[in-house]
Amino acid sequence: MQFGHTRYSADDFYDELIDKNGEPRRHARELVEYFSAMESGELIERQRAVDSTIVDMGISFTIYSEGDNIDRAWPLDVIPRAMPGSEWDTVERGLIQRVTALNHFIDDLYNDRRILNDGIVPAEIIDSSKNYLEPCRGAKPKHGVWAHICGSDLVRDADGTIYVLEDNLRVPSGVSYMLENRNVIKRVFPSIFRNHRVRPVSEYPSALNAMLRSIAPDDIEGRPEIVVLTPGIFNSAYFEHSYLARTMGIELVEGADLLVDDDDCVYMRTIEGLTRVDTIYRRIDDTFLDPEAFRPDSMLGVPGLMRAWRAGNVALANAPGSGVADDKVVYSYVPDIIRYYLDEDAIIPNVPTWRCSDPVQLDHVLTNLADLVVKPANESGGYGMLVGPHASQAEHETFRERLKADPRNYIAQPTLSLSTAPTLCGEALEPRHLDLRPFILQGSSVYVTAGGLTRVALRKGSLVVNSSQGGGSKDTWIVEDDG
Amino acid sequence: MLSRAAERVYWAGRYLERAENMARIVQQYSQLLLDLPEETGVDWPDLVAIFGARQAFAASGAERSEAAILDFLLADANSGSSLAYSIRMARDNIRNSRDLLPQESWENVNELYQYSRSALANAAATENRFEILADCIGRCQQINGILVGTMSHNAPYFFLSLGENIERADMTSRIIDVAAAYLQENERLVLRYGSTLWTNVLKSVSGFQMYRQYCQPEVIGLAVVDFLLHDRAFPRAVRACVEEAKRMAAALPRGEHLTHALDRVGFALPGPLADEFDGAEASALMDTLQRRLGDAHAAVVETWFLPEGDA
Repeated sequence: MQFGHTRYSADDFYDELIDKNGEPRRHARELVEYFSAMESGELIERQRAVDSTIVDMGISFTIYSEGDNIDRAWPLDVIPRAMPGSEWDTVERGLIQRVTALNHFIDDLYNDRRILNDGIVPAEIIDSSKNYLEPCRGAKPKHGVWAHICGSDLVRDADGTIYVLEDNLRVPSGVSYMLENRNVIKRVFPSIFRNHRVRPVSEYPSALNAMLRSIAPDDIEGRPEIVVLTPGIFNSAYFEHSYLARTMGIELVEGADLLVDDDDCVYMRTIEGLTRVDTIYRRIDDTFLDPEAFRPDSMLGVPGLMRAWRAGNVALANAPGSGVADDKVVYSYVPDIIRYYLDEDAIIPNVPTWRCSDPVQLDHVLTNLADLVVKPANESGGYGMLVGPHASQAEHETFRERLKADPRNYIAQPTLSLSTAPTLCGEALEPRHLDLRPFILQGSSVYVTAGGLTRVALRKGSLVVNSSQGGGSKDTWIVEDDG
Repeated sequence: MLSRAAERVYWAGRYLERAENMARIVQQYSQLLLDLPEETGVDWPDLVAIFGARQAFAASGAERSEAAILDFLLADANSGSSLAYSIRMARDNIRNSRDLLPQESWENVNELYQYSRSALANAAATENRFEILADCIGRCQQINGILVGTMSHNAPYFFLSLGENIERADMTSRIIDVAAAYLQENERLVLRYGSTLWTNVLKSVSGFQMYRQYCQPEVIGLAVVDFLLHDRAFPRAVRACVEEAKRMAAALPRGEHLTHALDRVGFALPGPLADEFDGAEASALMDTLQRRLGDAHAAVVETWFLPEGDA
């Protein structure tokens, strides 16, 4: 495949745009033709236009460095990543199935515990999870839904199979960048969308607003008051908090703006005095939500918030305690969980996972450590992991000891060959590994974004896509292909 | 509307207004000094006084040269009295109010901020000062235009406008204060250069044309001060600012306290000025005005920004 003057080859990896014969995939044909007709100088020019549009629009993320908060311009690659609509339809069904089952699971755990009593998931896995919150026991959120907003990370292996790598059920972030990526690409390439049937993503804020309304307490009069609760302007995702509040037309509040009164209702401090709040889209971790119930030193939360939530006077999205289902050991049971509650097979497979809590599986992991990825059960952001093939002998030994000492806290997976897409690196297009984070909303009904946020590892061969660690992003196109 | 959000929008209004006024005052002052010979005694340190930054400037240890003063007033990011600081604060407050303000206002204030970071460092020294400041003024006006033209006229707009009008009245009173000092100190200056000086005062608040329409005769001190204090139609005259702020107070819930404080600003306006009105009298009057504007600001803070109902 030619892009301008340079040849592009994805080697043995599955490339999202180019097939193994070097030809554009069917759904990406016009996209590839559009870009391959460009001289490399023009491509670089367009990338600059993308970069400066991002600076002008103030699309940024915050990183912490040496005690300082630094605003970085959001990195967006000029070439979109495309997937065929027919394939996406299957993925979408799979995500709806998955989130529906996970919500049944969480509701069951905090109430009847049938799945534990029936021996499908061992009770000690749940009881030893630090994301299982005892104060949530017996709570009954509306519609039986706990994880209202879920970001599931999808990856594609060398043979083209799409897997769920993990589910983020606590406070998943990134959706604002998905929306802004599309806005930027539309500004820089206004003509390109006319020749493609790309599914729009812009309705997300309306869908989120509708979902948040649908979970408000039943007994309120008039329109429910919905707010976004942020830890504040120093949080790395503050851009997103503000973006979502603005695009939904609702208030962005901090803990200090809210209080729980003697009637166990939540109020915000406004210029008119105190106003009742019905639904809180909280972007604060569980244990910081309420210093009365969890960390007494939390300055971010609202004293009494759990009281108000348990009394059914306010809805919290996501409900506290939802994180119990994104424990990586629980992850390994998700296909069983889907079968148990829905009597269906999982539409999107899990990455094969060995649980170190099982002595036989632990044995396998210890023997094959050099070929596996080992992950702690409760960390996110890629911390505390061992990537076997890239690690030293000494690191293998360290992990061997850790696994033996605390097997419950680890799982292991084979090293996947993540798919690639052409990415502008310097002056040429090169294959770079990527993943995809779609966002799923569940309230009275379920909504899935068309595509999601594609994150791309900018360094050659790297699998690390996190923006805090030098990852970039791409606009994600779901292209109609039904003829 | 959240109390905290109201506070941010109010400060966005104040800093945006301050930035525009500062840029215009420095621009016009630079022009004025080209017209006045050295022996008139009008010089750069007076500019520091207009911005109420005498102490901060002295503490900075900078020399009293044109370059050092302009650098302090325009570019010094550490100085709370600089144009760069006002632009940054306007940008920060608009940025943190993005959920309430039009997207274009954020994009434009961010562009102004990016521009000011590179341009203002050169504004003290170069021949481009006039243009750089004109750019800053133009961008501030553009942002104001976006806000006035696209924001619904409800609570966020009322707070923005309150911030702008209180700031504007304060700034106008400062300009009168410094100009009035010349009335007192330098009779020869007044005789020969009075018209130049007062024309400059008017231009510092973009008021020259409107003054001409209001009052045909020549530009003389008393008439200019009268115009800048009392005119109800010129939006930068103190009276007009106070009236506009009162309209905002009336539109907001629980605005009585502020209305009362604004009335007290209005009562301090002297009415038609007698010929004996001199620098000392003007200076005392401006002190009173500034103090009462400070009380109006305090009324805004107490009524709407301070937390209440602590559980």
